[in-house]
Amino acid sequence: MAAAWHVRGLVLALLLAAVEGRAEPPEEESPWFVPDHAALQLAGSIGLLSAGPGWGFLRDGVDAELLLGWAPPAVAGEDFLTVTLKGQWHPFRPAWRGWTLRPLTVGLLLSYTFGDAYFVGLPDRYPDGYYWFKTALRPALLLGAGAGRPVPALGLRLQGYAELVATDYRLLHFLQSPATAGTGLFSLALGVRVRF
Amino acid sequence: MDGPLRFAVLGDIQLFLDDGADAVEDLRRRDVDFVVQLGDLTEYGSAQEYAWVAELFDRLPVPSFAVLGNHDVLGTGADIYRRTFGPPFLSFQHAGSRFVLFDSNSREYAFPGNVPDLEALGEALAPEPGVDHRFTFSHVPPWNGDFDAALTGPLEQLQAERGVSASFHAHLHQFESEVRRGVPYFVADSLEHRNYLVVAVDGPVVRVERVFY
Repeated sequence: MAAAWHVRGLVLALLLAAVEGRAEPPEEESPWFVPDHAALQLAGSIGLLSAGPGWGFLRDGVDAELLLGWAPPAVAGEDFLTVTLKGQWHPFRPAWRGWTLRPLTVGLLLSYTFGDAYFVGLPDRYPDGYYWFKTALRPALLLGAGAGRPVPALGLRLQGYAELVATDYRLLHFLQSPATAGTGLFSLALGVRVRF
Repeated sequence: MDGPLRFAVLGDIQLFLDDGADAVEDLRRRDVDFVVQLGDLTEYGSAQEYAWVAELFDRLPVPSFAVLGNHDVLGTGADIYRRTFGPPFLSFQHAGSRFVLFDSNSREYAFPGNVPDLEALGEALAPEPGVDHRFTFSHVPPWNGDFDAALTGPLEQLQAERGVSASFHAHLHQFESEVRRGVPYFVADSLEHRNYLVVAVDGPVVRVERVFY
């Protein structure tokens, strides 16, 4: 059953793609569940590459995204497939020469890693409470910034962002061993959002 | 070479990286031939944690070896361990002694009956000319519930028959020493207790000392 999680991931990717595909036709005032943007991200603890639909709320002051992430064996040791729910708050959005700046983004994410090597519920071989964490679930804090501008020729708005991602275990090591963990507290994510 | 053979043995690191860094700093000033860490290098078996401990060991002026611990195999940790430290079973000879590192994390594999691999251990501990002492290293001590209970007796018997001079373990986070079937067993403290073991071999005499830093 080694292939099962690959299949699950693929089905999920197709579903996400279908949702995105359906997002294109509606004009104005789409219902809330229709994505209004897509994100493509490099690194950031959820895979080398991740992508998925997103939803803006409160005049894009808050974003939620559902990302499917992947890293090749050369990077992660084995194929690494994740699905991540990410929430970001952009408290300031000043305009500057046609750009919308987002000098500060704070957020949270929860990432699920597919595969038999990871667990949410403790496998039978362990007594209750043997491990206090769930290897398949990775919460993280985000700190970032970005900037965007409309691209009239495409009828889209493009935004670039950078985020420092501190996963639960990096935070824990940093609090316990700040000298050794150092800047390893964070991994860096770079991404773009395309707003429809 | 003058004087006895000396080597250092470190317990669980897990979340105690800064204590590990201080241990390494202390070891840099000691006269040891090499260092063996007894497993649980990491808490989550993650690549970042392996990178942190590998960077710590790189600061040592002498070779270092690491046993595979139960935390180290979580997720894809066993693969990262192999890439970083090589195979979990390792046997080498140095200064008239045989050193064998092996995987005793039976529970992680749901007690398959061949962890630890007593066949490989038996071969590695076979009598050979020029070897006066045998030292073994594994994470889970044989009397612990995470060790395959069906192999506890056979392992202790094997180590006794092959005349193991000392058997080193960790996992319990608390120092222990006891003699079982004539073989001395040591469990090293985890590193937040800020000590490690130094073993000195002088002819037939083996001394194990706890060094606090």
